[in-house]
Amino acid sequence: MAAVAALSDDAARVALDLPLRANLSAVDNIALIPLYQRHYGVAESARQAQAVLDQLGHADIAPLRDPDMTPAQRFVTKLARALILKRPRLVIDRPGAMLYDVPYPAFIQQLAGRDGMSGIWEIFDFSWNQALYIQALNTE
Amino acid sequence: MNFLAASIESLGAKLAGWFTVGYGMFSFFTSASLLLLDRTTWNHATFDVVVKQVYFTAVQILHVFLAYSLVISWLIISIILSTARDFGLTAFASEMTIRVLVLELLPFLTALFVALRSGSAINTEVALMQVNNELDALAHCKVPPMQFEFLPRLIGGVISVVALAGLAGLSALMLAYLTIYGMSMAGFEPFTQTIAKIFDFRIVAGLLVKCALFGLAVTLIPVTAGLETPKKLFMVPVSVLRGMMRVFFAIVAIEVVSLALKYI
Repeated sequence: MAAVAALSDDAARVALDLPLRANLSAVDNIALIPLYQRHYGVAESARQAQAVLDQLGHADIAPLRDPDMTPAQRFVTKLARALILKRPRLVIDRPGAMLYDVPYPAFIQQLAGRDGMSGIWEIFDFSWNQALYIQALNTE
Repeated sequence: MNFLAASIESLGAKLAGWFTVGYGMFSFFTSASLLLLDRTTWNHATFDVVVKQVYFTAVQILHVFLAYSLVISWLIISIILSTARDFGLTAFASEMTIRVLVLELLPFLTALFVALRSGSAINTEVALMQVNNELDALAHCKVPPMQFEFLPRLIGGVISVVALAGLAGLSALMLAYLTIYGMSMAGFEPFTQTIAKIFDFRIVAGLLVKCALFGLAVTLIPVTAGLETPKKLFMVPVSVLRGMMRVFFAIVAIEVVSLALKYI
């Protein structure tokens, strides 16, 4: 997993060790990026953040704060934050550590298959979890 | 001999620790000041967070704070007035009230109030952010923590302490007038003359600087103490304890220096 830690700035990571700001809602956590990186106004940043959540099919989690989310909702928020960064690579680091309440290869596959999702999502996971991915692909 | 060596070693370690803490605070303050001067800092996002901080630190507690400062002011004014009457010094009662209450006690109590309420919360929040890797996550997303989290707290703290101390001072002045002269307008002229005599430029500037330093102490010290927290959850209470002790010593030191500059 040293490879994940050594990733350069061109990768947007979704990882357990990159948590959300606990006192901000899901939409505010995502909106920080357009707000501080691209200097959009508060309303426009919130609109962009909400649009990413809509795209992922989880518009309803927008007002939730980190402690009120299920692991899957927290993962979706982190994923939305990574997507809005618009970096060339998107790396999901050990999803099993974040998605312990859903069959995660299928869940990620379903999110990646939604309309408007582009690019390649790289998943870094332990080799002994490979069977889970094969199982999810075969089910498809 | 061993005892002497151990004592020297322990003293040296303490001195080095204090120096490290002092340097950390100075370096943090320098980077915050430089960022403050940077034109790009002043965008919508930073301004919004500053407004939120002022709201949480000053506006949200306004009614409680005003009630608390009015009760204390009324008590101190009554004590000063009755003592002045006993010693035949009634003519100096208003001047004593202003000097004791408005210039010294109320700013000090305001700083303690904000430190206990907001300073401890800031220290805890920053320590938890540090322990939970939230600062690393912000850095990964290229959201500058100084601009988003820390600078607004420093500015909010300074504005809040200056505004609350000013408000407490004004209400104490009104209360002092009502307690000394009642509802009559007869005392208006001597009272305003006393105010004008005390509040020369030097005193007003000194009061403003003191309140601003109080505001800085109750925010800067908790933030730096929070940032020093090792990434272990059980260290959060220790960090808050250390931070609040430093805040207390800093507030007392600012007050002592201000008194010494004014009266010695």
